[in-house]
Amino acid sequence: MAAEQETEVSEAQIAVHWREEGYYQPPATFIAQANAADPALFERFSEPHFPECFKEYADLLAWDAYWHTTLDTSNPPFWKWFVGGRLNASYNCVDRHLATSPNKAALIWVPEPEDEDSNAITYQELYRRVNEFAALMRDFAGVKTGDRVTFHLPMVPELPVSMLACARLGVVHSEVFGGFSGTACGERIADSGSHILVTMDGYYRNGELIDHKAKADEAVAKARALGLEVAKVLVWRRHRGQYASKSPMVPGRDFFVDEVLADYRGRVVEPVSMPAEAPLFLMYTSGTTARPKGCQHSTGGYLAYVAGTSKYYQDIHPEDTYWCFADIGWITGHSYIVYGPLSLGTTSVMYEGVPTYPDPGRPWRIAERLGVTIFHTAPTTIRMLRKLGPDEPKKYNYRFKHMTTVGEPIEPDVWRWYHAVVGKGNAVIVDTWWQTENGGFLGSTLPALQPMKPGSCGPGVLGIYPVIYDEKGNVVEAGSGRAGNICIRNPWPGIFQTVWGQPERFVQIYYAKYCRDKNSKDWRDWPYFAGDGAVQAADGYFRILGRVDDVINVAGHRLGTKELESASITVEEIAEAAAVPVMDELRGRAVEMYVSVKPGVVSSPHIEQKVAKAIETAIGKIARPKNVWIVPDMPKTRSGKIMRRVIAGISNFSDVGDTTTLANPEVVEVIRRQVQAQKVARGELPRQLSPQELEEIKAFGRAE
Amino acid sequence: MTQQYLVGELSLILGELQAAAMSAAAVRDVARLRHEAETTPPAALGPVVGRAVELGDRVCRDALTQGESAAFIRDTAIYAELCEFGVCAGLLEEGQTSSDLGPAKKLKA
Repeated sequence: MAAEQETEVSEAQIAVHWREEGYYQPPATFIAQANAADPALFERFSEPHFPECFKEYADLLAWDAYWHTTLDTSNPPFWKWFVGGRLNASYNCVDRHLATSPNKAALIWVPEPEDEDSNAITYQELYRRVNEFAALMRDFAGVKTGDRVTFHLPMVPELPVSMLACARLGVVHSEVFGGFSGTACGERIADSGSHILVTMDGYYRNGELIDHKAKADEAVAKARALGLEVAKVLVWRRHRGQYASKSPMVPGRDFFVDEVLADYRGRVVEPVSMPAEAPLFLMYTSGTTARPKGCQHSTGGYLAYVAGTSKYYQDIHPEDTYWCFADIGWITGHSYIVYGPLSLGTTSVMYEGVPTYPDPGRPWRIAERLGVTIFHTAPTTIRMLRKLGPDEPKKYNYRFKHMTTVGEPIEPDVWRWYHAVVGKGNAVIVDTWWQTENGGFLGSTLPALQPMKPGSCGPGVLGIYPVIYDEKGNVVEAGSGRAGNICIRNPWPGIFQTVWGQPERFVQIYYAKYCRDKNSKDWRDWPYFAGDGAVQAADGYFRILGRVDDVINVAGHRLGTKELESASITVEEIAEAAAVPVMDELRGRAVEMYVSVKPGVVSSPHIEQKVAKAIETAIGKIARPKNVWIVPDMPKTRSGKIMRRVIAGISNFSDVGDTTTLANPEVVEVIRRQVQAQKVARGELPRQLSPQELEEIKAFGRAE
Repeated sequence: MTQQYLVGELSLILGELQAAAMSAAAVRDVARLRHEAETTPPAALGPVVGRAVELGDRVCRDALTQGESAAFIRDTAIYAELCEFGVCAGLLEEGQTSSDLGPAKKLKA
């Protein structure tokens, strides 16, 4: 009986504790005006029409020359889209709208200080500013087509101006999130080989003018230490004529942009006609102490993909006022604040500061005042706004037709608040799944044609054919209740082209795992490995479960280490917990928990039982740990990270690997003696691990 | 998932904490933790946030010990922002504060 109960618990329930939710239908008023209301779209983007279906997206752009090959697969997985085509991204986002809407706002920038006026920048004004800065970049900074330029800019209009100026010249821009340290910026400068850094003296956050230029000095020093000399630092000023930083300008290196721009007033730079496959920008991902990973995005494929998904999934019309409440320092901002909305000629809102400054009503005041019709933000922001001002939206007279959530899975409860309170029950919600590497959405609902389901992002978007594979490459069927690794079977125009300067890493991380034939030039043999776990319901909707690195696979059930650890620390005596896999003859893998108790608490079998019970209650019987070890301390790095790889090695009687970076290497031997002696006493004798098992243990915790 | 922004937000708040810290040791520790945040995968940020809360607590206490009331008010605002971020990003439990993070205290010893 107990075993039967165990199998009733699906991986989805285990991993996210969310039950399947009911559907929400889009309102008729939305359907009536939607860009994508014709069900024939599904047929047009179905697999028999791949890859030519993406012509529909590419046709949203103005091309200098049409392509002769839609998808070139001759060098997999380095796909080339719209080969032979030529275009300019800046022209597409700015110039081509001048004929019809020169006086329409392209960008509305909202400063954080509420007493400072918003700044509406028309397409005509954007054209002027982009051209002048492009002239400065070319003639003063000396950049040429193909060069890289790093930006370390906050949420100010100078950021899209700088991006579009570089795009105009065919220069590859690389924006580093403005909140990152100078060191992180310097590492990215060095990796990309940028000799120009564009930054700002300061910006507002939580009511304070933050000194930002100081980070430029750190960045230049870090880049120099890594062998890259920055020739010029171009400093925009938050308040013209005033300097917000205490960091002195370095003569011959640092220049105020507003001063230099005086020499470029009225200058016009012809947009450089770029090959479709030329790189447009680099977007670095974080999460590694190794060399940073610069995702290289193309000009034609990327721009077509973000224009298409903005039109069909964001339902952007030229007359909309669209607000993506994210930071341009991330891919969301690049795709869905700048390139997507501007390529469609709409009005895109940017906000400088903290969502809850000076109070949690701020976003809704902005929405009301600007007449925002489409709102787009992340679950963390939604949770924060709900927590700090659950009734604030009701106080303001705005009306959204469409809302997006992006970034991580959103809990159904939060989704419902977003729908009922923020959207006032009238807006559709598009829950999106995608990644920095992908350029645009991969999983979502087409808002007028597919109903919403809280907690699920939806099926693959148009022209994207996802599949879930198990570890052996077998397809995990929809509706089976089993989870696996979500992959995309086909290339798409928005996919990044490579990891900048590291093509072998690109292949290894994203394609090697499920490639069927390394010599094949057929895209069907090269599924893209996204690195996220997922489960697909019978209706084809995907539920994303998180990164696969953090999962222990017990008898086919994927258990998240974070969830196991969270459940453990609900026991009041427990201070810290770590979950590791142990080889198990019956279930393949089992969970072992390592816990430490709070100061003053005495270890006891009773506490071990409480931990096991807490996990069982929170997650299910399948997750019950094989052993709970109460240890005096965890092996940690000097910065305090628990080294799960080391304790996984102890649990499996295998090599614990290099411990020289530990802050407390002595604890390894203490734990090893304690755990392995008790295991032997319990009859859990060591066995020879296969090379694959050893590799798995060594790799465990690499996410940490 | 496009979770990179969580790394950035944490780095940003740690940057504020770094600027607010009064002792050289605290500045150094925050800078180190910030670098760690910037090189940690988003899925593994939880423990980093936990240690950030610990450090935030320490920075607040430093200001209090030195009788710097203005600094204390500023530091507690940053601490509150850090906790709100951690909870809303699902990286901290609701109500979890530095006093709940006992082992991190051991780290400092």
